[in-house]
Amino acid sequence: MRKLISFLFLLPLIGIAQNNSGEIHGDFNLSLQSYKDDIKIDAIGADEVILNNAYLNINYIKGNFSTGIRYESYLNALADYDPEFKGNGIPYRFATYNLEGLEITAGNFYEQFGSGLIFRSYEEKGLGIDNAMDGVRLKYSPFSGISLKTFIGKSRTYFTYADGIFRGLDGEVNINDAFGLESKTAIILGGSFISRYQQRANPKFNLPQNVSAYAGRLNIIKGGWNYYGEYAYKINDPANSLQENEMNYASGSAFTNSITFSKKGFGVTAEMHRSDNMTFKSDRDKDGKAYLINYIPTLSKPHAYTLLALYPCATQADGELGFQIDLFYKIKKGTLFGGKYGTKLNFNYSRINALNSGGITLNSEDLKGSFLNDNTDHTPMLISIKGEELYFKDINLEINKKINKKIKTNFVIANQTYNKDFLEGHTPGDYGVINSTIAVLDVSYKIKKGHTIRMELQELLAKQLEHAEENEEGSWSMALVEYTISPHWFFAVQDMYNWGNEDVEKQLHYVNVNAGFIKGSNRFSIGYGKKREGIFCVGGVCKLVPSSNGFSLNISSSF
Amino acid sequence: MKKYIYLFIAVLIFASCDKLEGPFMTDNIINPIDTSTNSFVKKILIEDFTGHTCPNCPDAARELDAIHEIYGDQIIGMAVHVGKTFARPFPLGTGKFEYDFRTTWGETWDSFFGIGTAGLPKGMINRIDYPNDEHRKGKNEWGAAVQAELNKDVDLGIVISSNISGESGTISINTKVLNNISGSYNLVVCLTEDTIINWQKDGQVEVENYEHKHVLRTVLNSEWGEQLTASTSLLSGDNFTHTFNINLTSLEQFNIDYSKNTLFQGNGNAGGWNADNMNIVAYIYNTITKEILQVEETHLNN
Repeated sequence: MRKLISFLFLLPLIGIAQNNSGEIHGDFNLSLQSYKDDIKIDAIGADEVILNNAYLNINYIKGNFSTGIRYESYLNALADYDPEFKGNGIPYRFATYNLEGLEITAGNFYEQFGSGLIFRSYEEKGLGIDNAMDGVRLKYSPFSGISLKTFIGKSRTYFTYADGIFRGLDGEVNINDAFGLESKTAIILGGSFISRYQQRANPKFNLPQNVSAYAGRLNIIKGGWNYYGEYAYKINDPANSLQENEMNYASGSAFTNSITFSKKGFGVTAEMHRSDNMTFKSDRDKDGKAYLINYIPTLSKPHAYTLLALYPCATQADGELGFQIDLFYKIKKGTLFGGKYGTKLNFNYSRINALNSGGITLNSEDLKGSFLNDNTDHTPMLISIKGEELYFKDINLEINKKINKKIKTNFVIANQTYNKDFLEGHTPGDYGVINSTIAVLDVSYKIKKGHTIRMELQELLAKQLEHAEENEEGSWSMALVEYTISPHWFFAVQDMYNWGNEDVEKQLHYVNVNAGFIKGSNRFSIGYGKKREGIFCVGGVCKLVPSSNGFSLNISSSF
Repeated sequence: MKKYIYLFIAVLIFASCDKLEGPFMTDNIINPIDTSTNSFVKKILIEDFTGHTCPNCPDAARELDAIHEIYGDQIIGMAVHVGKTFARPFPLGTGKFEYDFRTTWGETWDSFFGIGTAGLPKGMINRIDYPNDEHRKGKNEWGAAVQAELNKDVDLGIVISSNISGESGTISINTKVLNNISGSYNLVVCLTEDTIINWQKDGQVEVENYEHKHVLRTVLNSEWGEQLTASTSLLSGDNFTHTFNINLTSLEQFNIDYSKNTLFQGNGNAGGWNADNMNIVAYIYNTITKEILQVEETHLNN
């Protein structure tokens, strides 16, 4: 049946040969990686030797009609992917058309309400997340300044769909546009509602069959000022357990607030968020990232440099309170520190801690957020910082400077505190809390037209804030050299050296070599190297990447 | 105008929302079926795949206890410690987690059913929903699966008798066919042990005196068992008897050797069996679907 449906979606594509109008676009990606045993870095070889992820998107657009499919292949999935991604299929197909402000989509779609606190259906290949919806969505704008969205559907997990049925509605009003005002202050108001239906019977506990969540948001923009605030609430959403301690009937809530001021050469953002018991899943019986249906945006700066991102912060939807301030300033050119081209400075501070657990422990786990059942009723304080368990702290300064026409530099210095035990789910005291001071120097030098050499030097000095039972990973150094011959070639060599490991046997080099060839929109790259076991995050959503040793091949293409 | 109607319908759908006020526990009273009478009842095997350093595994063990509390002896548990990550013992002399609970049969099932790779704890309820990957169930899926199983027909009845003195003796399994069924069925006979006090990681705490219940110790007739009968057509009233001669010391020694010689970081610390706390678990499954049709449990020493 599913094959037939996919075929029907393909029909319009087939018709194109006769009717030479409309456009076809597509993109393709293939990632192959070989895995071999490497006892020193705890890498486990794959039985299959080579693992593979590939996908192909094909979209057809004609006027206000579009349709598309995505073919995915995991034979078998790369080691850092959930092994439940297994096999081949067409998990994504859709058709949509737009008529007089009404857009109708049938099939798969991605959708997000506000910043995603109650609902976000998205795809993040790097994390192996794809909770695409399958169903029907309508978007309608009856007047200028008013937009409405509604959908009904199920959420994808791997090659199937989770049990819960979602119904969603979102409305947004831009006051100026809607009422024809000429005000210099733009006010955008939004509200959203989502409900999950999942029929379950529990012989011991009452279960809500319909679990709903709603959110309101406000965005005010005036000149260089921008305020965004959103509050979300979710009604009781207990698991489906027969143990009282596992049944949490507390409602959930989350808010995020940010205020930004920016003008030429200067910008500042202050942000605060709090999340309490806000894990919203597409199946109440299941655990795991694949079933998440909402998203709490991260509050720490996403770092691109390897050692800065060695200990990244994962957002805790169950309970966290965080603050962030981000300052950007450009020193004008022609001044003492500005030089000929000016100097860009970016200062960032973020701090995330636990909500107060009230000292209540259930099944040897401290409470992370609100908890309510017939015997326990705990609501954490709204704001509490002092004395609460610190999850993550990052203070960093980035200086970006172009020295002359040939040399560009970027320098970052940071100090991070990372609660490894909590953020990685270890027993407290196993790895403790790590404080690291990190410096990064990135210099690129243009040798001649089309030839650029870039070098990164990174250093991470780690300090254990409390004694830990397991060996400390300790300090790291890293160097990278990258040579680019534009527009076709690039070569890179990098070495990460864990010289500070408490275990002398683990003071290892992790060398990676990469080369790539780009022509038009086709890109080929090959690599060989060792990867350390680590945490990889995008926007506060993280996954564990196992250590590996092997070759990789990546081919991507688009048209 | 039509568009407004669509939106109006959409809004109506959203009116549903079930916010509950306490008390949250129902006052439904479930009286477990009295399994001590002669008539056969449907029994369910919950295989709890676990590991002593798996922090979330005790939650699953408690879920099994909670299910047992509701349905009584219709529920038969088996804790199968598996894998390199959570079940490997620490080296002797570490002072904790030194025991090797793993067995060759558990490792075979784990790899065949792909349990450990999907992350512990996971369980199988009568091994239903194989092979579409739905057979490995998170603990919050167990209750619903048990309810569904209890509604199924009772096609087979098992009677276990044993005659053990000291370390050796015989176990006899008598299977009665209650309804006409067809298919190929195998019988598997295992020994499990209760009340093993040893280390277990429980959430954030390392518990020294954790009570490990119904731990798989051995399988008497290989991991996939033996044919119940050569016939694929079982008629109501058919009766089969299988007898096993066992020697606990040699079975125990097998596990010690297997731990020492074969298992990943095995240390041979797999002995110390206590026959007084052991149970015989016998089950019959369909060799194609792997579904367990019936299971029975009795104390080893009656």
